[in-house]
Amino acid sequence: MKTLLIAIFLILAPVFAAQAQQDSRIQMTALDHLAAKASQTIDVNIDERLMRLAARVFDDKDEDEREVKKLVANLKGVYVKSFEFETAGQYAAADIEPIRTQLRGPGWTRLVNVTSKKDGILEVYLLFNGEQVGGMAVLHTDDKELTVVNIVGPVDVDKLARLEGQFGIPDLGLGSPKKTKNDDEK
Amino acid sequence: MKAIATKLLVVAMIVTTANAAPAKGDDFNSVVKMIEQFYRVKHVGIPFLAKAGMKVGMTAARIKGGQARRIAEAGSIKLAVFEDQEFNGDFTKFRASLNEALNATWMPLIQTLSAQDEEQVYIFLKDAGQKVNVLVITIEQRDATVVQVTLSPRNLALLLKDPEGTGKSITQEATINDQE
Repeated sequence: MKTLLIAIFLILAPVFAAQAQQDSRIQMTALDHLAAKASQTIDVNIDERLMRLAARVFDDKDEDEREVKKLVANLKGVYVKSFEFETAGQYAAADIEPIRTQLRGPGWTRLVNVTSKKDGILEVYLLFNGEQVGGMAVLHTDDKELTVVNIVGPVDVDKLARLEGQFGIPDLGLGSPKKTKNDDEK
Repeated sequence: MKAIATKLLVVAMIVTTANAAPAKGDDFNSVVKMIEQFYRVKHVGIPFLAKAGMKVGMTAARIKGGQARRIAEAGSIKLAVFEDQEFNGDFTKFRASLNEALNATWMPLIQTLSAQDEEQVYIFLKDAGQKVNVLVITIEQRDATVVQVTLSPRNLALLLKDPEGTGKSITQEATINDQE
């Protein structure tokens, strides 16, 4: 009986481990069909293996790289999907619904919601595991643009802006909240 | 009961072994063949490129307007070039086939598709101990390149900081024309 239980555990353990790690991972494959309509598609996948590699190669002597190294040390992944369209109306709210459904799930909290006539809508979601931030998602929607950024693992929100423009993460203005926040907020 | 447990252990071992499958021998050639079959094109061999004045991995590239520096480790460059041919085909299907073929052994870093310029860029990485292998596939309207290089940790940091720019520099480094 004991051997049977060990065998069952051996089979199921990787499944549960993977499940636990995927808590803050947003599944973005539902957006893939938009690539056919988009004028530009960017797809960044930095999984845990690449994160470990990244933590190894950044230089401790360089102040900026040292900070990035600290920031990525505990991360499990960074995933970005970004679409640019020639004309407005190439994607609908229904296309983003699978993403929003996941972000309405347990643990996720919308931290920022900025609507700007010029820059579209920027939403920042955090996944809380108790009091700790276990992951983050950024959703940027505009008439001609759609970007989803998903950072998996414990995130230091204050230092997050350092990742902008690196690892393929677009500059979303996370470091300096949009000037338009007060002016344009609906 | 013991027999069932043994069978389950065997299944567990098979699953574990399958997940940790070693890298395929030559993914570079597989990708070149995949492009040839999907787009019905033919790549140009290195001797032909040498005649045309192409330098393979001998010239430093300039990154982000900074100082010129060599990116690829010496002697590590594998290159296949497709010149002046039609690359007509559903790029979403090609991307799916490419990812399916490489995902077991390579880590996809960045993939960009530009319908406007009809350009596709794919960058995959594979850990190689202290260094890392990088596979950059660029497909444009009438040309394509497949480049595989080995990077030092320092240059991998550059690639992670600016995947798109450094990926282009790797291709540029491998294919720069001496006569230009």
